[in-house]
Amino acid sequence: MTASAHAIRQRLRRVPPSVIVVSVLLAAIVLLAVFAPLVAPADPNNQTLLARLKAPGFTYRGVTYWVGTDDLGRDLLSRTVYGARVSLGVAALSVIVSTMVGVSLGMLAGWFRGWTETIIMRLVDIMMSIPAILLAVLTVAVLGPGFLKLVLVLGLTRWPRYTRVAYAQTLQVSNLPFIKASELAGAGAVRILFHHVLPNIAGPILIVATAEFGLMILMESGLSFLGLGIQPPSASWGSIMSVGRQYLERAWWIVAVPGVCLFLLVFSVNVLGDWLRDQLDPRSRSR
Amino acid sequence: MKPGLAFIASLALALMASTAIAQTKETLTIDLPNDVATLDPHLQWNTDSYTVYRNIFDNLLTRDSGGKIVPQIATEWTYENDTTITFKIRADVTFQDGSKLTAEDVAFSINRIIDPALKSPQLSQFDQIATAEVVDPTTVKVTTKSPYPALLAQLVKLSIVPKAYVEKVGDQDFNLHPVGSGPYKMADWKKGIQTELEAYDNYWRGEPPFEKVVFRAVPDVSTRIADLKTGKADLIRDVPPDQASTIESDSTKLLTGETERVGYLYLNAEAGPTKDVRVRQAIAYAIDKQGLVDALLEGYGKPINVVGAEPIFGYTEAVEGYPYDPQKAAELVKAAGAEGATVEFLTSPSYPRALVEAIQQMVNEVGLNVTISSSDQATFLKRRQGDAENAGGMAFGAWSCACQDADGIIFPLFRSGSIWAKYKNEKYDALVDQARAILDEGKRKELYTQAYEVLREDVPGLGLYQVYALYGAAKNLQWTPSANEAMFVMDMSWQH
Amino acid sequence: MLNYTVQRLIQALVAIFGVLTIVFVIMHLSGDPTLLLVPQDASAEMIAELRHQLGFDRPIWVQYIDYLHGLTQLDFGMSVVQRVPALDIVASRLPYTIQLAAGALMVAIGIGIPSGIIMATMRGSAIERILAAIVVTGQSVPTFLSAILLIFIFGVTLRWLPTSGASELRAMIMPSIALGALSMSTFARMSRIAIIDELGKDYVRAGLARGLSLGQTVFRHVLRNASIPVITIAALEIGNLLAGAVIIETVFAWPGIGQLAIQSIQSRDFLVVQVIVLLISFVYVLTSVLADLVYVVVDPRIRLVR
Repeated sequence: MTASAHAIRQRLRRVPPSVIVVSVLLAAIVLLAVFAPLVAPADPNNQTLLARLKAPGFTYRGVTYWVGTDDLGRDLLSRTVYGARVSLGVAALSVIVSTMVGVSLGMLAGWFRGWTETIIMRLVDIMMSIPAILLAVLTVAVLGPGFLKLVLVLGLTRWPRYTRVAYAQTLQVSNLPFIKASELAGAGAVRILFHHVLPNIAGPILIVATAEFGLMILMESGLSFLGLGIQPPSASWGSIMSVGRQYLERAWWIVAVPGVCLFLLVFSVNVLGDWLRDQLDPRSRSR
Repeated sequence: MKPGLAFIASLALALMASTAIAQTKETLTIDLPNDVATLDPHLQWNTDSYTVYRNIFDNLLTRDSGGKIVPQIATEWTYENDTTITFKIRADVTFQDGSKLTAEDVAFSINRIIDPALKSPQLSQFDQIATAEVVDPTTVKVTTKSPYPALLAQLVKLSIVPKAYVEKVGDQDFNLHPVGSGPYKMADWKKGIQTELEAYDNYWRGEPPFEKVVFRAVPDVSTRIADLKTGKADLIRDVPPDQASTIESDSTKLLTGETERVGYLYLNAEAGPTKDVRVRQAIAYAIDKQGLVDALLEGYGKPINVVGAEPIFGYTEAVEGYPYDPQKAAELVKAAGAEGATVEFLTSPSYPRALVEAIQQMVNEVGLNVTISSSDQATFLKRRQGDAENAGGMAFGAWSCACQDADGIIFPLFRSGSIWAKYKNEKYDALVDQARAILDEGKRKELYTQAYEVLREDVPGLGLYQVYALYGAAKNLQWTPSANEAMFVMDMSWQH
Repeated sequence: MLNYTVQRLIQALVAIFGVLTIVFVIMHLSGDPTLLLVPQDASAEMIAELRHQLGFDRPIWVQYIDYLHGLTQLDFGMSVVQRVPALDIVASRLPYTIQLAAGALMVAIGIGIPSGIIMATMRGSAIERILAAIVVTGQSVPTFLSAILLIFIFGVTLRWLPTSGASELRAMIMPSIALGALSMSTFARMSRIAIIDELGKDYVRAGLARGLSLGQTVFRHVLRNASIPVITIAALEIGNLLAGAVIIETVFAWPGIGQLAIQSIQSRDFLVVQVIVLLISFVYVLTSVLADLVYVVVDPRIRLVR
């Protein structure tokens, strides 16, 4: 254990420049989202109907719209900055929800085996064989849209991936001598799972979670794009783009600004995730 | 790209374009948002379906370009008494399978659509009819349950189907292989993709203008517009007003039709903060209709004072509207003690989002707190038509009965007991009930003016604007859109 | 082996049955289509009447048993919207999705696997870096964004390709690229990893020591051995492509089952949705069973106890 920790520390010292760049980018986007009220030049929901669909750099009544306005004359820069909150928030929270649900179920299945295992793992099979986006569209039809419901929908449709990993890892770990020992010493299942099993399977779970984080951002924007996401007048990058799609010829910036942001965000997450996987998973390590 | 390559490419494009034009002389291609749901005209009544099947079938009656009800399959009709009306049927009409259209087919069509066994969603439009009987081969007698002035307006929507054929092939097969007496017969139906029609050469009104008509399903507006511009489509429906300016070009033009459809705002008079009439009036004062029309509809619409537009019977200019007066609105909100009260604005992706958001801001500015709840259409309808308590405070709608009669608008919207009404006023109910049950036009008109006056006072709903239907068309297509948004290919032609 | 196959197939059946049940329950919780079917001026009694005629006023378990009973006779029910057997509707749309998925798979494999091979064999070179960046880019562009970009550039501005529909073969190009981009990245990564794994094995070293060039080794031995994991990935990607088709088909108005699924969910056309979900999960389950079996056949050391 300590030997590999040492190796990781060694490798961390040789961080490639691309990873540093995307980390800075990611940090910048997160900061933008957190400090949106300070960064955004205007109220993201304030409409000026006389300044609709204006190009970047347009000035109206002493207000300059640096990246233009949308179809209700709202400042696109401010909306994009606030949109980061929704896109990141939904993705982060739904990853947390699905990790918690998925990992708990996976550990239970791997620890107790028997019927618990059968039921949980068959449920995983079922969930995995319904396309996630269809399941999400179906669930939105029942729950209705909105920020928290979106988190719930995405979180509850994506947990099986974590369960599979947590299950397989728990099976391996549960045979380790020190865990057998603490079981004999009379420690309860919950205690063993959380204190001994969880820390040992955290690495692989982290790999899944980073990959899922990127996917969640795309799923949220996909749902918003279909008109099933966040409630107006709030907006996520996906929903701004879905509005802008109609104005592609007249006002390309409505799609372009959040589109570029969305791409940079997912790109950063993916590059970072790849690097993290190379560090944590010796099998795919190649450099 | 190298200049040489660009030249070759543009040459190739020009060649392709010229062959495309040669082909369109024979074929008219129309882009609709969706494919037909059913081609059996007695099943689904939604715009995309009837736009197609009304070209395959004839209706008992129709409307001329001025909106007047005129003969089609029926040549004349007489009221025997308030509940009985006889129709004379044309003798020179044949169905596309060669058989003759007779009174038998007309009576069969009426009785078929009101038969519960068909499970027709359109039943409610015809349920005032008790029965239809054949008197002789060219005469049909229709009996209504009570005097029903809107009967003729409803029969404009009744397609005549061939009795012998339907009985022979059965309902399910008839839906897949419909046979009518209209100008076009079904050639090929690729479900969800396109419906291809072919001219019926023996059509009784003369030769149809195009050999083939293709209705394609293109859900995305931008794609429909792109299709028009690239010459893949000759006519497209449902152009949003703020895309209108992109339609005009060397090869394409914009067609506008001032329709009977009204954009209106529903206000819940039975629950929530809007239960107080002052709050509803405040909302009426808070909305700048002209501003909405100018900015969001780019002028393609006309502000109105009542929930009804000029082409409908019963429309009146006598009722005053609410002027845009945010100050007065704010005072009314204050007087009602509703400052900061939360009003839920129900909507769905089927309604114009920008308009909903603009109204939200206007109402927020006078002191209310409007929150938008956007769900899918099924959920929206369930709430909007359900209990008043759960039906939100306001909602946007765009209503047309395609019957050009106030009865088709304000009766279903505001008569207590109707699924849409979250409002009860006995005086109003009496007025619209009476107007529905008499045939005297002058008297009906007066009743509707009074009813509109009551609605102005109580504001259970607010007329916003008359909708202009916008179509994009190839430059050489000749067609005048009608108030009821019907698209009869018979009325279209190539310009020479 | 036989035991394992039987066990896997039983699990697959259980999964499909579960999918069927879960989707049935969720769909019915979301309400029924009656309100969407009636004309706007229908009265409450008329709505109740039609709901009764269509059978949506029965308790959900009665409807469920009724549905299962139909299924045992291979009757998938009628679409309430189109009044046509649900199976026919899906069957008429399926060829379009298969066509699109095949196109996307061609894009994904045609670009992904060569990129993977190059990245694996030219490690550390500038070409590898560039390809790696392209692969991550493909993975990071939302499908609807690439769809919009393609339509804007090649459809609206340059007018080289049709913007929508399925009326000609050229119309397939843009949706195939947009849909294939994500899978392309998967193939590139997977083939890269598989080849690197193989390259580290003794027989490759031996071959190189015997004086074979790297290119010869790769083409004679490595590719064949590395292709097995890649084939199983291909099988699993088919399921992903079907799911990705939902958004792509909507944007390009491609008349496949993805677009049909969204429309049918929105119009609450339950039985059509059921057929589609059943079909997709069937394909998914079948391909994953096959993938597992391929693994076991190829590498008997793997014994899956799941």
